Amino acid sequence: MEKSGSIDSLGSKRSSSRQPSVDSLSSTSTSRSDRSAQAKPPSAMSSDSVSTSAEFSPELRVKPKVLAKKVLRNSDKEEPQLLPNETVQDMAQDITYFCPFTGALRGTVTVTNYRLFFKCMDREPAFLLDLPLGVVSRVEKIGSASSRGDVSYGLVCKDMRNLRFAHKQLEDTLRKSIFEVMMKFAFPVSNGLQIFAFDYGQVFPENGWKVYDAVSEYKRQGIPNESWRITKVNDHYELCDTYPSTLAVPVNIPDEELKRVAAFRAKGRIPVLSWIHPESQATVTRCSQPMVGVNGKRSKEDEKYLQAIMDANAQSHKLFIFDARPSVNAAANKMKGGGYESEDAYQNAELVFLDIHNIHVMRESLRKLKDVVYPNIEDSHWLSNLESTHWLEHIKLILAGALRIADKVESGKTSVVVHCSDGWDRTAQLTSLSMLMLDGYYRTIRGFEVLLEKEWLSFGHRFQLRIGHGDKNHTDADRSPVFIQFIDCVWQLTRQFPAAFEFNDYFLVTILDHLYSCLFGTFLCNSEQQRLKEEIPKRTVSLWSYINSQLEDFTNPLYVNYSNHVLFPVVGLRHLELWVGYYIRWNPRMRPQEPVHQRYKELLAKRAELQKRVDELQREVTNRSASSSSERAGSPTRSITPVQTFV
Amino acid sequence: MFSGKPMKPTFKCYLPPVQTDRKTIDPPIKKLEPNLLLGEIVVNEVNFVRKCISTESNQDDLWGKLICTNFKVSFIPQDAPPKQKSQLSHLLLGEHDIPLTCLEQVVTVNDTKGKKKVLGSNQKLKFNPTELILYCKDLRVIRFCFDEAGPESAKKVCLAIAHYCHPADLQLLFGFEYQGRRYHESKGDWFNGSTPRGGLQTPIFDRPSDWDREIKRTGASEWRVCSINEGYAISPSLPEYIVVPVSLADQDLKQYSIFYSDKRIPLWCWNHPNGSALVRMASIIDPLQQRKIEQRIFSAITKSHPQRSEVFRSDLDKSLPNIQDIQSAFVKVRQICVLDPFEESEERWLSSIENSRWLEYVRAFLKLSAEIVYHLDGKTSSVIIQEEEDRDLNCVVSSLVQLMLDPHYRSILGFQSLVQKEWVMAGHRFLDRCNHLKKNDKEESPLFMLFLDCVWQMMNQYPAAFEFTETYLTVLSDSMWIPLFSTFLFSSPKQRAQHLMDFAKNKAIPQGENPAVYFPPVWEWSQQFSIKDQTLFNNPMYVGKGAACVQNGEVKTFRRTKQKTYSSTLRGTPASVRNGTRGGEDVLPRRGSLVSELKPDFSPVKDESPSERFFRDWFSRPTDQQGVLIPLLMPSHMALWKLFFLRWVPEACIPRGGPITTFHKLSKLVDEIEILQNQLRQYKGPSPGNTPLPSPSGPPSDQRRMYFRANSLDDPTTPPDFFTSTFPFTPVGNLCRRSVYGTPISKFLNGARIWLSTETLADSV
Repeated sequence: MEKSGSIDSLGSKRSSSRQPSVDSLSSTSTSRSDRSAQAKPPSAMSSDSVSTSAEFSPELRVKPKVLAKKVLRNSDKEEPQLLPNETVQDMAQDITYFCPFTGALRGTVTVTNYRLFFKCMDREPAFLLDLPLGVVSRVEKIGSASSRGDVSYGLVCKDMRNLRFAHKQLEDTLRKSIFEVMMKFAFPVSNGLQIFAFDYGQVFPENGWKVYDAVSEYKRQGIPNESWRITKVNDHYELCDTYPSTLAVPVNIPDEELKRVAAFRAKGRIPVLSWIHPESQATVTRCSQPMVGVNGKRSKEDEKYLQAIMDANAQSHKLFIFDARPSVNAAANKMKGGGYESEDAYQNAELVFLDIHNIHVMRESLRKLKDVVYPNIEDSHWLSNLESTHWLEHIKLILAGALRIADKVESGKTSVVVHCSDGWDRTAQLTSLSMLMLDGYYRTIRGFEVLLEKEWLSFGHRFQLRIGHGDKNHTDADRSPVFIQFIDCVWQLTRQFPAAFEFNDYFLVTILDHLYSCLFGTFLCNSEQQRLKEEIPKRTVSLWSYINSQLEDFTNPLYVNYSNHVLFPVVGLRHLELWVGYYIRWNPRMRPQEPVHQRYKELLAKRAELQKRVDELQREVTNRSASSSSERAGSPTRSITPVQTFV
Repeated sequence: MFSGKPMKPTFKCYLPPVQTDRKTIDPPIKKLEPNLLLGEIVVNEVNFVRKCISTESNQDDLWGKLICTNFKVSFIPQDAPPKQKSQLSHLLLGEHDIPLTCLEQVVTVNDTKGKKKVLGSNQKLKFNPTELILYCKDLRVIRFCFDEAGPESAKKVCLAIAHYCHPADLQLLFGFEYQGRRYHESKGDWFNGSTPRGGLQTPIFDRPSDWDREIKRTGASEWRVCSINEGYAISPSLPEYIVVPVSLADQDLKQYSIFYSDKRIPLWCWNHPNGSALVRMASIIDPLQQRKIEQRIFSAITKSHPQRSEVFRSDLDKSLPNIQDIQSAFVKVRQICVLDPFEESEERWLSSIENSRWLEYVRAFLKLSAEIVYHLDGKTSSVIIQEEEDRDLNCVVSSLVQLMLDPHYRSILGFQSLVQKEWVMAGHRFLDRCNHLKKNDKEESPLFMLFLDCVWQMMNQYPAAFEFTETYLTVLSDSMWIPLFSTFLFSSPKQRAQHLMDFAKNKAIPQGENPAVYFPPVWEWSQQFSIKDQTLFNNPMYVGKGAACVQNGEVKTFRRTKQKTYSSTLRGTPASVRNGTRGGEDVLPRRGSLVSELKPDFSPVKDESPSERFFRDWFSRPTDQQGVLIPLLMPSHMALWKLFFLRWVPEACIPRGGPITTFHKLSKLVDEIEILQNQLRQYKGPSPGNTPLPSPSGPPSDQRRMYFRANSLDDPTTPPDFFTSTFPFTPVGNLCRRSVYGTPISKFLNGARIWLSTETLADSV
């Protein structure tokens, strides 16, 4: 079956059929804004916001004032600008929003099948709050029996904030509170409804579902080659239902043996290739834990298989197995039939534990971090409070693990096997981060999208379970910020290497915002198999469609494409920082700013302007000297080399 | 005879390599000579010394000669490792040299006997040292081993170093020797004006004209230069010329002066365009006279204000840490950053930094200064900052306030004049606070360093607002420990004048010669660095007078006269009216809009104080890099100044990373722009009929402002090797810590801490 082909045809069909997309802004402008209107970005996570202007389109932010003012006036109509197929479900007046920073605000609330929209007109300019319902983790009804009859609702959000609203007790007891209505759409999965991504009908010039194709990504890496082959053994997800259909394995292990290896690996997640070094042929491979159990079971096929991985790299006679877990946890897993490779059974293999904790510890750490940063930061003890969350320490351990892997592959020319328990959380963090350090391709925007599609989505990081899209069961023990942690690690790398990444902070924040928003299909479901079953590529829009349609916004102007440049970050706490631009962005005292990038762009504009003037003058001079030289009979005209351009 | 293969000429060198016989290598034939400055003499030296590079193995250690002169401790390696490309190189000091004034502590160790002694001046040493550890004021830590050296000579060198770093008298500091010789020997070069950004351009504030210019520049028409302190007749710690309200007569001032500590009458610092003045003042000693004197002074200041608004007084002693607190915080933060072993200090890094209180103090000073900005700018009232002696905390606060309010001080020349005005001439006791003579540790306090850190915090938040770079600030802090410049050597203007006069007399320097010529201030950067290296001081992002910025197609330049004035009557009017005064340029979203969708809420807040309101208003507008600048002051906004605190720590060095990569790109772009501008200028040359074709190379090399040049041939396929986060400094060879050679990583990772979670292990996923 040619999956990617079917997606293509669908994408183009859709773009023709749904062409007239709703856009009130496009009427004002030229062809350029028509294009931008078509690629109109979804109203991502706006926050407690004053300016109504630029909310819905980052494009507007760089446009002349006239337009911004115009939109300002448009928004007086108290209506959120709806996305295609977004419909208003309820509206209510006299709602109080208790802003933790500026105090209580009175206004109207609109609930659609995608968002909650609060607007307070008492302020100049108007106060807006625009919240995709996907970020709501839990709704608490507080104090309905209070004396004054106010009913209050607390919204706990997945993106590091809590919101509180209140309204008067409704006289009509049969009428539902607007927040009851909201809950229905905030948790569509629990209420038998469809996630909004399936309704969202926006058309973008780019089709993000075409970004990743496993075969061409392996081809880019030089696979197949004499040591590695691509197997179709999992084409129908029969070998492993959480793995992708396309896998790269050692040449000399036939498919039949792969099945026996799968029997020995948790959930059938056999070691497969993630990345191969273009020169040394050292590889990064990933898998789940071996099913060793208390009795120390062994598998000849598995042992032979790891030997084959080692043999595929002629440069080294050793294999490093990185077990992401603390050794105690790894040992404890033996009780449940799992465990780790004993060095007796695996000749020439060295086992290293990376001491990274499990999803529950990470969840708890982020919860503590939220307590420390939201809504306000205490004036004293900021650093020790931050330390007590252990968040940066976890970040450090993950980065340290990835660095060790990258170091072994790059400096030691040794192949590595990475696993944790199931190989879809910590393993994904480690392989993708080490690949980011080793391979500059993944530091481009498209390369990073490929990396996410490959190491996270196709290899079955359980996004649905970890995030709980549309599910009201907020206490679910399967929820965990593993992916956020990964993005945080990437941000730390961009801080240490400001010119090594093609994307900017805004790109990373946008990914995290749409991790929750449920606007795009990208992060829905738990595995490739599920996504195929749900026909996600056919029925939803990819986040990459949106991003790749306006790359300008997400591009780091300082980017330099250094080839073969391996990043060795310093993973000490001295160089790790809290990502305040993400975790503390709701605090108005924490102004976002990135003047370096802005300044660089200004300077680029200035250079272009000067170059233009120089060129004009040069033309003038050459014309003049040409006319004068003709009199002087052919004295050679000097040409001027334009200033070399580095960007 | 031949052991192994005969050597062949290599492609790098067509001469046959010299055959060296391994056995005859010690003693070395090579003669190791120190680079001596004029007037510098060798006091003692010892051969076969090992400079330790790594604590783990000695394979990277350097062998060489250790020398003590009357100026520095010098180490001359036998086989110097190749110098790192593009590393800042000092004209007067070698890579392994340490000026004696830079030594904080001299420690000798005898490993076998398990003995250790901190050496002072004129001390005896009962054991032969096997090791010498030098703790430096610029945060370097350097260790020498004497296992192959002659024990007696080693001991002698150690004692000499300890002795010579405790000079008995100020005149014995090496600068007095050096500058005298230099004056006579290099007189010719001196007057040819070979210094493009010379110290001579920086106003020293030792003459009335410097003050006059400052009065005119700030429009302080109700203030005058007063010369009652000429010849230091009134106070030794005040400059000879000071600025006072026009309504106060010399006679009054003389009368008031006796009631002030050290007779320091209040000192004008700066005027806001709205007429408010910043004044600094010491405490009045006599409590009985206090009210009366203060009333007169205050009313005179009020009279000098166009709106006659009241004077606001801020008592710094009550609201800021004292000099001992600051010293102890600095000692702690230094301990954590450079002395504690890297891995161990990692564990509780954040809380250790917090416990040092350094960042807390930095924040306190910035916060108080911002409040004073509110009074001057938002409330249009004059401010008096008061401190018991007016020579420490006031220096920090008055200069920070002026940096926030006046873009002139954010230029290199302006910043230097600010340091002259508020530190050097206002009588900050550099000699005592730096403890150059190591006489009284209790007086030592890194106030100037604290100030530089505060400046760095602002620079970190507003990277386009300052003409200079953090390299400039770091180099300036290092210069405090080089006793060759007059800036940091004295504790009061009178002391400075006297010593310089005596010096001139002793060295037969003609009367009437400018002290800035015969004993130059640190601002004479050409003494220390080449023209090329000085370009490391230039911030490519600077939005300054020359560098107009293009915003949305418009070229904006700053005009000081058009700066908005806030009068107190405007408070309480609706936002739209207030905005109306600003020419309607506030519609566009803030500069941060690139980053995230967040539009912070700056709408009115209940129960807000006027100052909170002022700050909220300010933050709600786009920042004018050439206007008022207020730092963000949440605890999470304060950062550790990594270049300063971590530049000698190899483990903290990011290979091919750090802010240098940004600096590199920006510099090249700005260089391209300047080349284009130069070409345009050439086109618009004088004779249009004969327009010369411009050269594509741009301005001559020595006039280019950027360190990294546009047309250089380095290809961006790989980032240059010298790109590390410590650029332009290098930790290699400077610290007796772990190795930085070889694989950079593996060693540092094993210390990763394991904490057992209370969560069920079996639950682990």
